[in-house]
Amino acid sequence: MRRFKDWSIPAVTAGFVAVLVSYAGPLAIFFQAAQSADVSPAMMTSWVWAISMGAAVSGIFLSVWLKAPVVTAWSAPGTALLVTLFPELSLNEAVGAYLTAALIIFAIGVTGTFDRLMQAIPRGIAAGMMAGILFQFGLGAFQAIEGTPVLALGMLMAYLVFKRLMPRYCLILLLLTGAGLAIGLEDASLDGVGWQLASPVFIAPEWSWHATLSLAIPLVLVSLTGQFLPGMAIMREAGYAASARSIISVTSLTSLVTALFGGITTVVAAITAAICTGKDAHEDPDKRYVAGIANGLFYLVGSCFAGAIVALFAALPGAFVAVLAGLALIGAISANIMTAIEAEDHREASVITFLVTASGLSLFGLGAAFWGVVIGCVAYALLHRHYRKRRTYCQLPLGK
Amino acid sequence: MKHLEKGISLKHAPADFIRDLDVDNVSAGIVAGLFGISASVIHVGAGTAAGLDPQFIMIWVIAYLMINGLFGLIMPAYYRLPLPMANSIPGALLFAAIIPVVGVEAALGASLIAGAISLVAGLAGVMGIVMKLIPMPIVMGMVGGILLKFGLNMVAPLENAMLPAAIMILAFFLSARFLRRVPPLIVAMLAGIAYMAYAGIDFSGVAFSVTFPEFIVPTFTLEAFLAYGLPLALILVGMETPAGVGLVKGMGYKQVPANAITAVGGFATMISSFFNLHSTCIAAPMTGICSSPEAGRPDKRWVAAVIAGAIFVAGAPFYGYVISLIEAMPSYFVAIVAGLALLKVITSAMYMTFAGGKHEMGGLFAFLIAASGLQILGIGASFWALVLGVFISLIFETSDFEFIRRAAHEPGA
Repeated sequence: MRRFKDWSIPAVTAGFVAVLVSYAGPLAIFFQAAQSADVSPAMMTSWVWAISMGAAVSGIFLSVWLKAPVVTAWSAPGTALLVTLFPELSLNEAVGAYLTAALIIFAIGVTGTFDRLMQAIPRGIAAGMMAGILFQFGLGAFQAIEGTPVLALGMLMAYLVFKRLMPRYCLILLLLTGAGLAIGLEDASLDGVGWQLASPVFIAPEWSWHATLSLAIPLVLVSLTGQFLPGMAIMREAGYAASARSIISVTSLTSLVTALFGGITTVVAAITAAICTGKDAHEDPDKRYVAGIANGLFYLVGSCFAGAIVALFAALPGAFVAVLAGLALIGAISANIMTAIEAEDHREASVITFLVTASGLSLFGLGAAFWGVVIGCVAYALLHRHYRKRRTYCQLPLGK
Repeated sequence: MKHLEKGISLKHAPADFIRDLDVDNVSAGIVAGLFGISASVIHVGAGTAAGLDPQFIMIWVIAYLMINGLFGLIMPAYYRLPLPMANSIPGALLFAAIIPVVGVEAALGASLIAGAISLVAGLAGVMGIVMKLIPMPIVMGMVGGILLKFGLNMVAPLENAMLPAAIMILAFFLSARFLRRVPPLIVAMLAGIAYMAYAGIDFSGVAFSVTFPEFIVPTFTLEAFLAYGLPLALILVGMETPAGVGLVKGMGYKQVPANAITAVGGFATMISSFFNLHSTCIAAPMTGICSSPEAGRPDKRWVAAVIAGAIFVAGAPFYGYVISLIEAMPSYFVAIVAGLALLKVITSAMYMTFAGGKHEMGGLFAFLIAASGLQILGIGASFWALVLGVFISLIFETSDFEFIRRAAHEPGA
């Protein structure tokens, strides 16, 4: 292991926090889906096993292969779809739809269609969309102050102190302080957490038109627009030239296997990717790939103890996770706003993208990230694109 | 009085007003006035939540329109700058919350003292120091965070009133691109009105009424001063003036009378306290609308502020009527028009917060805190945004502060 010297505490911490944030946040929606499907605890454990395993295998493989922090996860907007479909949809049909979706995404990825699409989106608009998504997490950190002032303010103070004194270990120290405060102040109890190994349960796929139209196709749409689009934009903003083709191919092939155990489509992570691709993970961009591997390894651990994960995150207070996620993303928020705002020739379209995405708009079942890009591109075409003559409207007078 | 900046003069103001009148500043002025009147829903909401008598809320709002409006006629006309006057929203929330505790008279007494502090601060010329203590990127971060809400409110109607919202927003963009003579705001408003006329609005709730401000004598108590007067004074001097001045400067105006804005606001607040009103000061969102490129040529944008003031004064006695009219209009109308009017201002506030390379972290925290709508100890997010933003910037970006850097370079100082 010649490369072992690349390993660093901040990178590993970033990987860990990324896993923590996605278990604490998006996993809750998956639980909700499991509840509406009324599945047994063993089946739910299998689901968590499958999504974690998918994220672990594809994440480690891609990070090592591309030597970039590729963070993968399960399709969070996809799980939101599930909530509304169960229990009318049977588990077997759902698995069939997962497989169909994985195949379609694979086809889109391998032909390079997605890469071309990504390149067509102006830089400021991609950054504006990312800033809009991350922005809500930044707000969440401060909004938590009203409900749980001591925990939230304590973590905020800890963040400021650590950031000033030991910026390299800020995140891990913040994590420990926050967990200490959560247990001490909010009575978070870890008693119910048991550590048995999880075992996957096989589900036979069943193909149906109903499941294809109501789950597979929307799943492809929301995964591409809600995960791959912002996830690839994050990678691009952070300066990694990884092609979507290789990443999409690997994740969708992984999905084909994990689907059989109830794991919804594996995709590129968006929010948590920002934690691992930023400066907080490592000063040197070439060594941040370690964060991607660490992220995968922690997913692997999570996968083995899927049952314990389920119990653990039921025990942690929501404010702890909200503040942790918000503060871990501070750097990513300002970097993306800066990129959006510095796009001189399409600044207003970028801000419009930011506003639409941050508003959390949801239309026709598609999320704000998608509409942010669509409306931003419309504004770009209307306000900034050169057709013939340039109108003065585009120029924003700014004081020095 | 030597610290008060000199303006142009009021003598030729009416003639110049007519000379400078154009479609752009009239439309921006109308939007600012409409926006200012519809902001009264915050007062009504806060007052109702605090259990205040509806009759009192009515004369409170009417006093704000009348007194804010009168000073809003004078300030822009004298300085020929887009300086619309309104009242402090964080102040209004504090005021509504303190009345049940200390009573109206004592609360107004505290307002009177806060006004006096603001007047003295302006007369003594301390605004230069205050503005240096609170660097521009942090002020603009706070302003951007506050105004952001209006930008988000513009997007929200796309969900529940998609057709009219899309029509209005598209009309704005299309006319910005293709129509040269007509201000895009007017086009957006006309598109909205056309849609409403087509869809039909229910005007049955509109009722005519006339009310005037009422005189009241304030009393003084220490409790009211500590709980409400002192925070209000801090808000007026440390937040409202820097926000307004920052906005106007950000739009390219070089000379902005920071001391006079503070002093006149203080004086007007003292008068306000005799008419059931908590404050008079420069108003950030309205200033944004009146000073934005949407209001036409820079040297004529003052007309927009005067029009906003005139709308306030004219609308004041008929407030009950006006508000029932605004309530009859679908809520998306004002939300979209205000959002469109503020779009460039939000953009430039974000630009000044993030693109300068100085006070980046303080600015970001100010932006996030202000946008979060956080409320601690009854004081709103905008105040904490400034306090925490400056605090964080002092810790992390010490060398970005001009006076600290200068002190470090001049050992004798």
